[in-house]
Amino acid sequence: MKRQYIIIVLLWSTFVFSQEDKTKLDFTGFVDTYHAVRSESPYDFMSSRTRFRGEIKMLKGNSYFFTSFNAVHNSILKSQTGIELREAFFEYTAKSWDFKAGRQILSWGVADGMRIIDIISAMDMTEFLAQDYDDIIMPVNALKLRWLKPKMNFELIYIPIPSFSIMPDEAENPWSIFPTEGKPVFDINMDNKPELTLANSEFGARFSFFLSGIDFSVSALHTWNKMPVFTRSMSSDFDTVFLKANHYNLDMLGLDFSIPKGQFVFRGETAYYIGEFHELDDEIINTEPIKKNSLNWLLGIDWYLGNDWTITAQYSQKFITNYLDVLQEKENTILSTAGITKKIFRSTLSVSTFAYIDINNGGFFDRTSVDYALSDEIHLLIGYDWFHGDKGMFGLYKNNSEYWFKAKYCF
Amino acid sequence: MKKNNRIKTLLLAMAIIVSYSNNIFAQNFSGKEIMQKVKDRPDGDNRKSTMQMELINKRGKKRMRSFVSYSMDIGKDKKSIMFFQSPADVKGTGFLTWGYDNPDKEDDRWLYLPAMKKTRRISGTSAKKDYFMGTDFTYDDMGGRNIDEDTHKLLNEEKLDAYDCWKIISIPKDPKDMYSKKVSWIRKDCLFAYKVVFYDKMGNLLKTLTISDIKKINGFWTAQKMHIINHQTNHQTILLMSGTKYNIKMEETLFTVSNLEKGVF
Repeated sequence: MKRQYIIIVLLWSTFVFSQEDKTKLDFTGFVDTYHAVRSESPYDFMSSRTRFRGEIKMLKGNSYFFTSFNAVHNSILKSQTGIELREAFFEYTAKSWDFKAGRQILSWGVADGMRIIDIISAMDMTEFLAQDYDDIIMPVNALKLRWLKPKMNFELIYIPIPSFSIMPDEAENPWSIFPTEGKPVFDINMDNKPELTLANSEFGARFSFFLSGIDFSVSALHTWNKMPVFTRSMSSDFDTVFLKANHYNLDMLGLDFSIPKGQFVFRGETAYYIGEFHELDDEIINTEPIKKNSLNWLLGIDWYLGNDWTITAQYSQKFITNYLDVLQEKENTILSTAGITKKIFRSTLSVSTFAYIDINNGGFFDRTSVDYALSDEIHLLIGYDWFHGDKGMFGLYKNNSEYWFKAKYCF
Repeated sequence: MKKNNRIKTLLLAMAIIVSYSNNIFAQNFSGKEIMQKVKDRPDGDNRKSTMQMELINKRGKKRMRSFVSYSMDIGKDKKSIMFFQSPADVKGTGFLTWGYDNPDKEDDRWLYLPAMKKTRRISGTSAKKDYFMGTDFTYDDMGGRNIDEDTHKLLNEEKLDAYDCWKIISIPKDPKDMYSKKVSWIRKDCLFAYKVVFYDKMGNLLKTLTISDIKKINGFWTAQKMHIINHQTNHQTILLMSGTKYNIKMEETLFTVSNLEKGVF
């Protein structure tokens, strides 16, 4: 079905753009291969995949078409092998407005690798955070209309059918969030999705201002929580836990800003989530999730200290109002990030480290990498993913620290 | 009678031209005035060009970078936007700059990363000292430096190759600057630097820039080749400009974040 869709989109675009002369056509992409091995016994492979990414761009006058697709072979997760359409959209740009329709990446906010306002797109958590962030963000089928002014944009988005994050639930996946052995057995139902009705559509609006010395935007979104909220029940003989994934609506009011000052850029986001459903403690069964509001905020700083050094840090907090002790999530959840990047040898070698730090549970995940540009086309990367902690989201993967290698050819 | 009048008019015109030329070449300009002339050299209200940069290391290995650049004068300020075309891994990456003539006002800069489909606000000051995309040009070298950041002194007038030049020494006012001094030979005929020699913080020879293939395009002097050699690393960069056009149909609204994200004009 995916293949048919790609062929239809390509044929359609070829037909439309061949109506007139001077169409600009561009075909680019890359091939990358990524392999990771656990850094402790049993030293098994955590990932082994090769991907071809093709990107086609066509431009004619004010009309633009873009599509990208992946052909993937995954040696660990057979279900990941195949061809997938990543993006396919067309765009029309007039003097003071533009319109984009199709499968596209919608990204709001100014945070790096964290989601406060940027909750439109679902996430592919197949390998948790141990992949590039642009591979984690999933495109959505959407319509986007923008009113464009030199220093201000007003954006309306409409997503007819919501999509949800892909959770690592396969038993053979080393990143599975569920126990794959021992008792009790987990029976997981991930198929409980909202009906495909007009009432279940998502929509939002955003005012963005780009001014001398400051960027800021205000946004409002009626969406779905892309992450599932689980409810639990037990078999009569208590040897099986039935987990059912539920999805719920969520409304968001947001504000974000970026302020450059000398060598620094200060970034911030705040969002008020209205009516978010929360999972209950593990021991509570046969009980529906509870709806609560929460205040979410993030402050970040980028330090461009020259000589190709960049240091970033972010601190975020989620505060659930009218908190109840039965909720699995804490009343205050604090997560921060820190990153350092240094380019040397005329930008042919880039050394970077980026860490997520779970303040509540004392855990962290750090990805350190060395990226060498063997030529203008070929990059060779090695890295180490370090998980630490006993509790929380990183504690779950405390035995998943891994060495990895990646090679990428761009054309 | 009419013939006599025409001769008088012609002689008067010639006298004015000679007098004006003498003013240009005989007047004693200060170093700063010459550098101001260089900065104010007519280059249209807007311009577009394609730049190809060849990076050559000491072993002779070459890397290529290319980008398309658009810029527009807004009074004394300047807006510019550039889109990388190669290498492939940065193709589509864009820089938008609103540059201000007032040295006390920070430039506004945005960077668009196509893989993330996201625009970042970046520092308007610190990158000026960094080397541009691994070349031997810093962002300052590429033309982003305000003349008031240096003290300029006219050393003498020299003939370099076939060109009459002003020789000027420029010393940064900031003692922490990456250069201790720059010596420039400014061509009198076209107000382009013909050669610039850079010295590092310790006063040692660092780089030499030569600008050649200077010719008029659409009535404006245009440098089409810049060759810079780092003597300390034996690395060099050759920048070739092509497709340069001035005063084309261009509106200020092109220099916006939304156009940066589109990546194409």
